[in-house]
Amino acid sequence: MGRYVVRRLIQALPILLAISVASFAIMKAMPGGPLAAYEGNPDFTEADRLRLEHAFGLDQPLPLQYISWLGSFVRLDWGYSFSSHQPVLALIGERLPNTLYLMGTVFVVVLLFAIPIGVMTAVKQYSVFDHVVTGTTFAFLSTPTFWLGLLLIILFGLQLRWLPLGGMQTLGAPFDLGDRLRHLILPVATIALVQMGSHVRYLRASMLETIGQDYMRTARAKGLQERVVVLRHALKNASIPLVTVIALDMPELFVGALVTEQIFGWPGMGRLFWDSATRADYPILQGILAVSSSLIVLANLVADVAYGYLDPRIRYS
Amino acid sequence: MTAGPAAVRGSAGEVHMSRLLTLAFAVALVATACTSPQTTPSASASAAPTATAAAITRGGTAIVAIWQEPSTLAPMYGNQTVLGLVINGTVEGLADTTTDGAYVPTLATRVPDVANGGVVVKGDKMDVTWDLKPGIKWSDGDPLTSADIKYTWELWLKDPKVNTRTGFDQIESIDLPTELTAVLHYKTIYAPYPLNFSSILPKHLLEKEADVSKTDYVRRPLGTGPFKITDFKAGDSITLEKNPNYRGAPERPYLDKIIFKSVPSSQVALAQLQAGEVHAMWNLTEAQTPDVEKTTGLSLQVVPGPTVERIEMNTAVNKEFTDPNSVHPVLGDIAVRKALLYATPKQQLVDKLLFGKAKPGASPVSQGWAAYREPQEGYDPAKANKALDDAGWAKGSDGIRAKGGVRASLTYTTTTGDQLRERVQQVLVDEWKAVGIEVKIQNQPSAVFLAGSCSAKDPRKLGTYDIDMYASTPSIDPHTTMLRYNSKRIPTQADCAGENYTRFKNPTADAAIEAAGATLDLEKRKASYATALKALNDAYVIIWLYDRANIDARLDALQGWQPNVWRRFTWNMQDWWMKK
Repeated sequence: MGRYVVRRLIQALPILLAISVASFAIMKAMPGGPLAAYEGNPDFTEADRLRLEHAFGLDQPLPLQYISWLGSFVRLDWGYSFSSHQPVLALIGERLPNTLYLMGTVFVVVLLFAIPIGVMTAVKQYSVFDHVVTGTTFAFLSTPTFWLGLLLIILFGLQLRWLPLGGMQTLGAPFDLGDRLRHLILPVATIALVQMGSHVRYLRASMLETIGQDYMRTARAKGLQERVVVLRHALKNASIPLVTVIALDMPELFVGALVTEQIFGWPGMGRLFWDSATRADYPILQGILAVSSSLIVLANLVADVAYGYLDPRIRYS
Repeated sequence: MTAGPAAVRGSAGEVHMSRLLTLAFAVALVATACTSPQTTPSASASAAPTATAAAITRGGTAIVAIWQEPSTLAPMYGNQTVLGLVINGTVEGLADTTTDGAYVPTLATRVPDVANGGVVVKGDKMDVTWDLKPGIKWSDGDPLTSADIKYTWELWLKDPKVNTRTGFDQIESIDLPTELTAVLHYKTIYAPYPLNFSSILPKHLLEKEADVSKTDYVRRPLGTGPFKITDFKAGDSITLEKNPNYRGAPERPYLDKIIFKSVPSSQVALAQLQAGEVHAMWNLTEAQTPDVEKTTGLSLQVVPGPTVERIEMNTAVNKEFTDPNSVHPVLGDIAVRKALLYATPKQQLVDKLLFGKAKPGASPVSQGWAAYREPQEGYDPAKANKALDDAGWAKGSDGIRAKGGVRASLTYTTTTGDQLRERVQQVLVDEWKAVGIEVKIQNQPSAVFLAGSCSAKDPRKLGTYDIDMYASTPSIDPHTTMLRYNSKRIPTQADCAGENYTRFKNPTADAAIEAAGATLDLEKRKASYATALKALNDAYVIIWLYDRANIDARLDALQGWQPNVWRRFTWNMQDWWMKK
């Protein structure tokens, strides 16, 4: 097991390297560049342009730019933003708690609702409840988040005036937990409603498969309560696909929700990435991409290891 | 406030999300407008009644929504319009501009000029003497001295990350005869000197820093203005609190706090204003103004701005690194350029697409002491047809003209994703087609089209366009703006620096632009610029489409706003107050 993990981690290195090269190349291929923003300034001269290109290292050949970035990145010096001149690590550091707060809540809410609903729909297959849930989850699954988010803002923010339109708290007011929670409801609902759909579908499918297994009949024949049969015997075995989905959700805790954070003006990682992309702020983009790709590789490994716990028949080789 | 951060509207970073949101929010706003019964026009929609001194209430917090976040608040590094907006009440300069474009002293006792002896011309050099008002303090209590002026210049020249050194690079040395006097020795006759020092930096705070860009100053710049910046929450808000050491204290400012709230788009900003979550918002589009006008309790402030939307015509052949002396097969003929102008219904565009909130353009310098407002010839399709007929451009069977085997077919480039520009294009393509000129839309992302460099493939720089459309905003001193029309400023492969995108060549204009830059006499400079602009307009290479207004909105309860063409609405935040 330990050797397996180490081998997987070593295998991940070339993958991560390739991802960082590709993202660097794509970024540089984007039209414009960090100095495009100065174009409208009538006082900005060609000499100014050359000076800034040199200050940001943009006058160096591309391979050299990449290598020098990689060199400092592994030494945990992630460079400085072109537009704010702040260290990239500090910029990520101030956004990360906000994203963890939002995405962590989403994560918990999704599991709290998705697991019981998924189990119920499988246990009561073809019931009215099952049909309603199936219909609703498909509806939300096929709804783009930007549309759902705006719809919720329009309904609960503009029309009913029940909830704030965006932001993390009421500005200018002292800290108030209730106020914080009210600001959380709409963005969490937007992401959770869409995400929940896939979780419910996965769990329902694998529960249905498990419920039909012989050992389930055996468990019932032993005289176990239906509750214990479903939760202890069926759910544990049925949750393997769900674990994959959940594990692959983990990087989102760091990356945040690009569209939702933008719509709700949430000061998190998604918004930082979006703003940095529009400004061609390469050091920030490169930092976020490197971390998120590492997390995805790591999440895959976590999922694989978790399989082994849930299903001892799975062997690592 | 900064050394001229005049951003182009619709430049990189301003469009992005707004398009997705526009549609949905349009639905939302219509829906709210329908459900709210009070749709009578606001009585104070245009001019807020000026309150009597007795009625003013002190204290309170105003929240202003901004839909572009300043990435830095340091005047020497930033380049966004919204940066100037936020630090207007904090970072001050030696002089500033009234709404008419006159220079007024801010931290100085007077604006030096030749007449008052503050400027002494010595051959092709000049000395400028600035005297600071006595007793001014930084918001941390330290005194403002002439050493701060010198430090500001030194930092701008020393720090490799500053936005632009224009102006500062013209200064040879600075003497400080007293604590309050600085004598600036310019190497040249630098006409835009009055606003050269529009942001003064605190020497006592920054001089020991190895790299100022990495200090807390970039988020909480120390200033001398009515407010100090106390909190910067990235992606969320910027908080300003009243500065107890302000020279106007304790009478000013009235408000205790001003918070700039970062929101994702102007649609969201407007929605929050209507919901009362913010007290004011920056920068509305013209299309949003009817919503504000019909909502009770909201006021608009529409101030003519120096931004001019223009259509430029490439007189050289449309190809990469075009030879400035080559002749465009269609646009090389002045008759075609004239016809395009005559077939452009500026007033109709202003009325229908800009909701009457703009003015038909006349020149790149629409405001201030150098304003040139001699209008271009008006809309007259018959005249356009005649000009083309007379020049031998005959209509073919498809209604498109041709001459000597060359079809009058052109491309038309502007930024992608800009609704207003796309609508303008639709109107003009139809109008121009009606007089026999075929125009095909070939838009590009603003990051390319407005990149401003040959390496980023800006088609205006390369010469790979027929007709373009964009806006630009001159500073109060039109020196750099006017350089665009000097034939020496045509971008070429060898020297891509210039911005003479139409490849306009006129010796009279060149001479006038150079003469204007070599004198300090404002009347003479204005006359020279007028000569150059007349020559430019007589060549019919640019259609000045419209002068764009700066439009901001507030709740009626927020009082004390005054228009200023040059400084955006936050220029007098010390006079704002909140009606209870």
